[in-house]
Amino acid sequence: MDGGAAPGEIDKTIVNFIRVVRGADVRVSVAETLDAVAVVNFVGWEDREILKQGLGLAVAKTPEEKTRFNACFDAFFAAVADNDDHDEDEDRPDGPVETDDKLAQMLLDADQSELMVAMEEAATEVGIENIKFFTQRGLYTQRIMRQMGLEGLDAAIREAQAGEGSGQGQGQGEGGDPSGQGGGEAATLEAARARLFEATRDLVEKRLSLYGSETSRDLREGRLRRSRLGNLDRRDQEEMRRLVAKIAKRLAALHSRKPKRRNRGTLDLRRTMRRNYANDGIMFDLEWKRKKIAKPKVMAICDVSGSVATVARFLLQFLYALHDILNDVRSFAFSGKLIETSDFFKRHDVDTAVDHVMNAVGYMPTDYGHSFENFRELGFLDDLDKRTTVVILGDGRTNNTEPRADILKEIHERSKRILWLNPEPPPLWGTGDSEILRYRPYCHMHREVNTLAHLERFVNELVHVVKASS
Amino acid sequence: MLEQHAAKLADIDAITNGFAELGYICSKSIATAIFIAGNLEKPILVEGPAGVGKTELANTMAAFMDLPMIRLQCYEGLDEAKALYEWRYAKQLLYTQILRDKIGEVLGGAETLAASMDKLHQHSDLFFSEQFVAPRPILQAMREEGGSILLIDEIDKADHEFEAFLLEVLSEFQVSIPELGTIKAKQKPFVFLTSNNTRELSDALKRRCLHLYVPFPEAKLEQQILRARVPDLTDALMQQLVAFVQGVRELDLKKHPSVSETLDWARALMLLNASELDGDLVRQTLNVILKFEEDITVVDRQALELVRMSEKAVRR
Repeated sequence: MDGGAAPGEIDKTIVNFIRVVRGADVRVSVAETLDAVAVVNFVGWEDREILKQGLGLAVAKTPEEKTRFNACFDAFFAAVADNDDHDEDEDRPDGPVETDDKLAQMLLDADQSELMVAMEEAATEVGIENIKFFTQRGLYTQRIMRQMGLEGLDAAIREAQAGEGSGQGQGQGEGGDPSGQGGGEAATLEAARARLFEATRDLVEKRLSLYGSETSRDLREGRLRRSRLGNLDRRDQEEMRRLVAKIAKRLAALHSRKPKRRNRGTLDLRRTMRRNYANDGIMFDLEWKRKKIAKPKVMAICDVSGSVATVARFLLQFLYALHDILNDVRSFAFSGKLIETSDFFKRHDVDTAVDHVMNAVGYMPTDYGHSFENFRELGFLDDLDKRTTVVILGDGRTNNTEPRADILKEIHERSKRILWLNPEPPPLWGTGDSEILRYRPYCHMHREVNTLAHLERFVNELVHVVKASS
Repeated sequence: MLEQHAAKLADIDAITNGFAELGYICSKSIATAIFIAGNLEKPILVEGPAGVGKTELANTMAAFMDLPMIRLQCYEGLDEAKALYEWRYAKQLLYTQILRDKIGEVLGGAETLAASMDKLHQHSDLFFSEQFVAPRPILQAMREEGGSILLIDEIDKADHEFEAFLLEVLSEFQVSIPELGTIKAKQKPFVFLTSNNTRELSDALKRRCLHLYVPFPEAKLEQQILRARVPDLTDALMQQLVAFVQGVRELDLKKHPSVSETLDWARALMLLNASELDGDLVRQTLNVILKFEEDITVVDRQALELVRMSEKAVRR
């Protein structure tokens, strides 16, 4: 509003701010950006508190997003604060020749605020908002300093050194403090140059943490998505869990159109009327409200021994994060023996539940045959019907025990489909004690799944298939 | 926006004071939200725990702006026939009966079938016309000449499909009826949507609204609310009460007591002529602020400690 700058200028600040907010994982659409601009135009830049509230209304749409938004706002406007209320045209006409002296003068005057303003301006000039990686720090620091007239300053230093020449010893004897008044002009300038460097570097680092977070997060997440789940660092586990939750949430939103549960068995008056206009309005053909009964069932049977355990953990996290859509998920875990784990997930949140499961049956040597026998003995076979999708996760390595493929055949006959996820890459299938080739004929799908990207694609397809066929 | 409305929304302090006079004490963030949403004419989506005064905010806004309040309570199965418009079927049926009686006169002795069809086409089609539309809350809000407050309460209880119906209303302030065309709002209503967050709302809906999150109030604000709503309460008891409730909110409970519970409790204590909280009194009246047996057990165990803490708050 009366901030003084041209409209384009305001937009740039806002657009940069939106980018920062997006970097902090707040989803901002174009429409919301326009709202943000409308808010800024309406409330102006003067009252920070109102501006913060207003932008928060337009941009951050969940409590969590609000928290992140507030942090971004504080960081961003603390950074550009000095740049804000000052009139830009003032310095523009000054050519670079004059600035040389000016920088030296500024440094000598130690006019901190003026120096900061100049630095901010130079930073904007060289496009600091494009900084992405920490390796670019040096580059941008140099560019900003050059923009501020570093060459002139260097020339001034050389000049001063040459000019002092003989008088240097005198100056040293007097002071001994190189940055103080007595240290001679050259030394003072040198010290000032060092301070300038420090300050610029500081600025660049702050901006990097502001603007670079988006890119480095994307990089990190991309790497996590593609790396083998079995090879994950402990350090990455936490991050991974967060990422899975995020993806699951997106998938849930994508598939969350559930059929209406009410509205069945009552007369659909509207359609009945429409239909019976032809009969003179006599209700002859009745229309009833209808609803498709969709009761897809998913049973997940997971090998939780050694190498498969990590994949199992994330598969379970996915399946239970989607419980709103896949409303009837049952899970079983096995290594040496098999147990039903659905209860763990009903009673605890996913993380604790997975820990419980791992404690109960995890990390033992696998025995597929025995586990399948358990499955039959515990009567789970009877729970299978033609609406059930069975997902089996395992490498099929039986430790040379009897594979009992006949039970899998039975499962195959009783269920809608069996989908087998194998964390091993195809060349290893059927080698050593892997009995996967004996299981494979009974699976509708058998696929390598060992990265988060694989898992995401699989779960997405699963939801599609399960919903479409019900 | 009409001039008298613009004048009322001219600045934040005026809104805060106006709301306070009507007994609604709002925090700065709420006042700012009203200020911005009102002036930019954007719908506002209010989220927050139950009982923090989301619905009351819309009610107060209606009183403050002196506008009719139109409320649409959402529930599972709500559809456009109940929210937007419905045809008056009985009237339509009568119309066809009348038409049958009058058809001879209308056709006026046309000889051939083609001629009578031509005559019939010349008559306007009243069957799907505005006379036969029964407006439901949303259409009603669009039709108000002087503007209105439209409260779409607990939108999270409605189905996903219903959100889609709202999109047109929220972004364009208009309703499309296939048989009639588009009906634009005579005066843009102030739209409030509330949600208790029982499910995630769609991005499309959120994109069209400003988003206000109303948390539990801070101690100071809650005291102001109590003073406005239960004026007979003594200062000491009020401070103690607020400190106690704030303490309870720190605990791990199924459902935390909200502002409405604090108010109920204050009124209950007034009835009991209490002058200060003590362990016994708290135990006897805990069921006013806590709605689950487990929660009551949890708080009961720590009641004495909380009372001691709240006494300290008063002395300070």
